Amino acid sequence: MPDWKQRLQRAFDANGHACDADVLEELGTHAAAEYDACRARGSDANEAERHVDDLIDGWVRDAAELRRRPKRTIAVPPPVVGSAPLAGVIQELRYGVRVLRRQPGFTAVAILTMALGISATTVLFSVAYGVLLKPLPWPEAERLVRVTETRQGRTGRVPGTVTNGTFLAWREHPSMIEDLGGWRTLTSTLTGAGDPLRVPIISTTPSLFPILKVRPLIGRLFRDGEGASGSPGVVILSYGLWQERFSGRPEIIGDAVRLDDRPHTIVGVMPREFAFPDREARAWTPYDIPQVAAPNGALAGAIFRAIARLRDGATPAQASAEATSRARSAPDMGVVATALFGAVGPIDVSTVPELDAITADVRPAILILLAAVALLLITATANVASLQLSRATTRKREMAVRAAIGAGQGRIVRQLLIENAIVGIGGGIAGLALAAGLQRLLPSLLPVGFPRLDAVVIDIRVLLFALAVSVIASVACGLLPAWHTRRVNLVETLSEDGGAPIGGTMRSPMARTRGLIMAGQVAIACVLLIGGALLTRSLMSLIRADRGYDPVNVLTARLPLPPGYPAERRGQLLETLIGRLRAVPGVTHAAYGTGLPFVSNGALTAFKMRSPLNPSLDVEVQATLRVVSPDYFPAMRLRLVAGRTLSDTDTATTPPAVVVNQMFVRQYLGDHPLGFRIPQRGPRAGAVRFTDQNADWEVVGVVDDMPQDSVEAPPQAEVFASFKQVVLYGNVDPILVIRTTGDPTAYVSTLRSLVHEQAPTLALDSVMTMEDRVMTSLERPRLYAVVLAWFGAFALLIAGVGLFGVLSSSVAQRTREIGVRSALGARAIDIVALVLRQTLWIVGVGVAIGLAAALIGLRMLSAFLYGISPHDAFTFIAVPIVIVAVAAVACLVPARRAAKVDPLIALRTG
Amino acid sequence: MATSPLERELKRGSTEVLILALLDERQRHGYEISQLIEERSSGTITFHTASLYPTLYRLEDKGLIEGRWVERAGQRRRRYYRLTRDGRRALAKQRSIWDTFFLALDRVAGIRHA
Repeated sequence: MPDWKQRLQRAFDANGHACDADVLEELGTHAAAEYDACRARGSDANEAERHVDDLIDGWVRDAAELRRRPKRTIAVPPPVVGSAPLAGVIQELRYGVRVLRRQPGFTAVAILTMALGISATTVLFSVAYGVLLKPLPWPEAERLVRVTETRQGRTGRVPGTVTNGTFLAWREHPSMIEDLGGWRTLTSTLTGAGDPLRVPIISTTPSLFPILKVRPLIGRLFRDGEGASGSPGVVILSYGLWQERFSGRPEIIGDAVRLDDRPHTIVGVMPREFAFPDREARAWTPYDIPQVAAPNGALAGAIFRAIARLRDGATPAQASAEATSRARSAPDMGVVATALFGAVGPIDVSTVPELDAITADVRPAILILLAAVALLLITATANVASLQLSRATTRKREMAVRAAIGAGQGRIVRQLLIENAIVGIGGGIAGLALAAGLQRLLPSLLPVGFPRLDAVVIDIRVLLFALAVSVIASVACGLLPAWHTRRVNLVETLSEDGGAPIGGTMRSPMARTRGLIMAGQVAIACVLLIGGALLTRSLMSLIRADRGYDPVNVLTARLPLPPGYPAERRGQLLETLIGRLRAVPGVTHAAYGTGLPFVSNGALTAFKMRSPLNPSLDVEVQATLRVVSPDYFPAMRLRLVAGRTLSDTDTATTPPAVVVNQMFVRQYLGDHPLGFRIPQRGPRAGAVRFTDQNADWEVVGVVDDMPQDSVEAPPQAEVFASFKQVVLYGNVDPILVIRTTGDPTAYVSTLRSLVHEQAPTLALDSVMTMEDRVMTSLERPRLYAVVLAWFGAFALLIAGVGLFGVLSSSVAQRTREIGVRSALGARAIDIVALVLRQTLWIVGVGVAIGLAAALIGLRMLSAFLYGISPHDAFTFIAVPIVIVAVAAVACLVPARRAAKVDPLIALRTG
Repeated sequence: MATSPLERELKRGSTEVLILALLDERQRHGYEISQLIEERSSGTITFHTASLYPTLYRLEDKGLIEGRWVERAGQRRRRYYRLTRDGRRALAKQRSIWDTFFLALDRVAGIRHA
């Protein structure tokens, strides 16, 4: 029997037709059957062959019809039927990755947006968690409380401290606490092992370490009684100091070093992780709290920080009550209390958990930034959701096909969620990497003295947080488009004309949702920008604030003198230094004093006097006494309000002359301060005495108030006296103040070499220009302003890009409508107005919501604002203008595109 | 042979309904279908087998029938066609159309439907 298949092939080939192998086989079978049938009917082989050949001829003539259409390959994988659900997930994961890789632009923008949002959130969370929530690194740290004393609601001159009277009274019979410890921070010069080194030292009661339940790495802790006057000096080193200065040798225990020229025996080294009160502490020396009534009968007041460990079951409230009652029964501190508190009223002692006390300063700021970053994350997530929605519009057909070939609603939603999860996880991983980078920068970004930075780490909790945020954000992104595909109309979507109907601006639910998202983003950008702008304007006011002196072109430095440095030598040294400095070209004034803003307050003084305002009344005067050289006033450019400043003619032989500030005048002197004699015969407190102790002080001049550290704090009453007229008790480190004609930093080396020349064993400390001191003091407000402003800018960028996207896709979908409008005579400007109207709607609604939210929400910023109201009109007008400008830029391109729509092309292709 | 468009459409329509009707009984292969049409119409409806396969492929493409290769012991590999659900629906519809058509012909021209 002939090979029919081969014969068919030849016949088709001869006529120039190609034929599918499948069809060829089918026809071949038919031909063979026909041949067999012919033969069975009795035809001979030739006859049968001819009959079949006729059949083949017929097929060849109709060859064009003999084609089985190739099966369409399905772009979307059919749903897996009946297999394990996980198999479907893996398949969808693979499909999701493929879909995302096909749209690298979208994927990159989405992942980047998520990464930025997640990284900022993660870093802030790690800070908030590490600083505010993580338990302190001591055993049972929740029982540690910080003790603070107030009188009539006023804290001590150094906030957050207690007096020796209160401390000793409570420690004598405590029942609510296990023990009480106190400490103060000093800076000492360490000698005896290499060059002299200025080190921050914590002078602490021996009880402190047992309260913290810590043990030394080597050696021992302090013993009771150590630190008392006359007892041998001992010191415990920090791990860091031990490593740097003593190469970590264990045999140093028992070795002697000199601290401020006094011999100290090293008795212990603390473990590496021990940091109390913070990482700055390099060594600890014992502190013996002085009795209120000194042996010589004088009153001795001391303020310092204190910490206690509550007994098991005791509450801070119980401890506070006990401490208050003990303190009130302690010996009266009289004028000492006035000097320290400006008030003599009943003592109140409060105890708050140590963690709260450490973080009280930064807690509100961290919480505000956390709220801001949450808004940022929401806007980033919304942006990705909006992008997804716009993709969902173009993917409607794909979804419809999937639904048509049997994918259930659940599967489509799952697919979308999986795609979003990929974006979310991708963003999360990238965000975590970014966060880890930012984390390393934190110590340099955050202001000096930001508490508990070493507790800020990316640990498992932070990782879990980032993961949770990524997943929640991605699910949120995916739910919207998924919810919209819920009601895909198969017939409508699969029909050829998928374009938007005429007038369909915001009428489709998806477009409406995107418009709403956009308005929300504009609102968030508005809130963040207003917050950032308020903080920035507040920072500007702080920088420009009138401080009563001129910080420009002033170099300052502290000259620490060892204890017991003779007063005469001190006077000589300082006068020689000042004289030599004045001779340096470019130096206009050189002076020294015991007080300088940001460095030292100067001494506190308190005394009683008859009030010049009401002669029947005795007033308790509390003031800061600054002992200065006469040039201090011109060097600082302190404004003289009345009278004269101190001069070289005020000497030990002339009556005591003082210059007071306006606050002092307002508080104690009234309208005629000049020439007023301040009596100095009653009890008084303070470490400064005039040479003639009982002589009245004559007020010779009044200067403007000079805020000490913060312009926001109320000014203190101040008294200036000349070095030549006073006797200083105790250890006073003079501060040098040098006014120059040019950049003051150029004089640092001259200053150092002059000091070295005059006193080779002394080292300058804290050499800084006054401007730097001002700026350093503003690090926190600056950080908050910068962070919030960046958040605002980022939110605005996101909103701008989002707006551009929404308008572009709206214009693209409305091409046909625009074409019809143009064809009916609409001018380009009408078309642009069409796009503008849409923009205006979105921005208008967004800005309105944003302004309202800012008005209500940003009141919590008021504590951070200086010289500006949280409802500052300029900011509330300027920010919307900026937003509108950005929106205008965002709608420029879509509007131009709309105006250029050619009605002919639009109608043909629409 | 020149045929008018009407004739062609008629023929095409009738071929389709014939095939669907044959496949309604059971699945069959192409040769069997051609034999059966000839047999059952007692030779009155002869159509060139050339048009059989294009029709089968068209029906398959429309999703009314579906073909698959079947190998039986001792026989050639053959492609069997069977009616799909849509095909069954289409056949029912065609039948009613033809019924109506013949009814109309009967009324108008007195042509009786077999």
